[in-house]
Amino acid sequence: MKKVLVVDDSLSVARQLEKIISESGDFVCVGHAKNGAEAIKMNHTEDPEIICMDMNMPGMDGLTALRTLSVMDKDVKVVMVTSLGGVGDKFTEALKLGAKNVISKPFEAENVLRILREL
Amino acid sequence: MAVKFFGQFLVEQSIVSRDSLIMAIDLQEQKNLKLGEMAVSMGYITQTDIERAHNAQMSKDMKLGDLLVEMGFLTLNQLNDVITRQKNTHLYIGEALVQVGALTTDSLLQHLADFKADQAQYVSDGIELPGTVANSKIWEMAADLTYKMITRVLDLQFRPGKCYITDVIPSNFMLAAMDLSGDVEARYLISVSENLQKAVARAILSEKSVENEPVEVLEDTVMEFVNVVCGNVAAKASQMGVIMNINPPVTIKPPAGGLPVTDGHTTLCFPIHIGDGDKMDLILQIKN
Repeated sequence: MKKVLVVDDSLSVARQLEKIISESGDFVCVGHAKNGAEAIKMNHTEDPEIICMDMNMPGMDGLTALRTLSVMDKDVKVVMVTSLGGVGDKFTEALKLGAKNVISKPFEAENVLRILREL
Repeated sequence: MAVKFFGQFLVEQSIVSRDSLIMAIDLQEQKNLKLGEMAVSMGYITQTDIERAHNAQMSKDMKLGDLLVEMGFLTLNQLNDVITRQKNTHLYIGEALVQVGALTTDSLLQHLADFKADQAQYVSDGIELPGTVANSKIWEMAADLTYKMITRVLDLQFRPGKCYITDVIPSNFMLAAMDLSGDVEARYLISVSENLQKAVARAILSEKSVENEPVEVLEDTVMEFVNVVCGNVAAKASQMGVIMNINPPVTIKPPAGGLPVTDGHTTLCFPIHIGDGDKMDLILQIKN
């Protein structure tokens, strides 16, 4: 099973994503980071294959963390899961910084899993 | 189930690849001239004129086109010519995807129809604001999208009350707030009664019961609802040409007498009637 790290300051979003991931049978959630800095640390300690990361977080935001992760770890695949996905500039910036896809909130479980399986 | 732009819809649906979309966006950036660049290409102004107008923009809150007219570099007719040329020659993302070979012209039409159907649920039916409020179209859209998200995300039936201007934010069990910045400055707030907080939590967590959830999780679900609505409002605003940045949400416990509004702001309250004794308000505190 592929290891997934969830990065979101919201407890409720982390709960939703962890539930979707753990019930999928294809993925296992290896942890929950609450901001970009924690995500970088947990990427090192948990070595996930996929990171699902919010853009808008207090402290280090998702795009800053994505920029760092894309330099530090060429193998990890990052998908942004964000309410800002529909803002064209943010979406384009995320893709250009190396995100594999961007999922807009509110999301549906099947859409999240389809995108993770296609990575 | 969110406000999207066409390129994002195509990537999410695996119709075009991420790399193709980036190529198409790069092509758009090459072909779609900014207002100043277009005016130069039409021979109306020089690069030096643009630089002088950009410098003047640092001390004047005006759009470049208006400033070029005010500074005498462009006539109003020339500005209109430039804007018309920009519109007529604009390369849309769908056309750019055809040009980079990611879509055919026929499939583009079908995908555009599918996209319009997907986004039809977010087309505004119109909301009336009291008095004269700056950027009223943006705030009407914000209220409209909030109503749609209450139905679609929270699965709650409701009746919107008449919007009014207030000096005090009405008290309620809890408030979740998000500051909006950019072309507009405002604070977006949602207040909920205790029962509605649980209804929001049940919907956001997809749980039948939230009776054993800790307070911080219940509060977080209301903040997350605000986050989802405001992110989608920012997406709609960007489609309307308005830059809106969102900040992490916060919770507020309002005093029994309500919260006085901040000086220099117009505060709009949209009562949302849901059920017996259940109260929700949308409050927009807009900087004047």
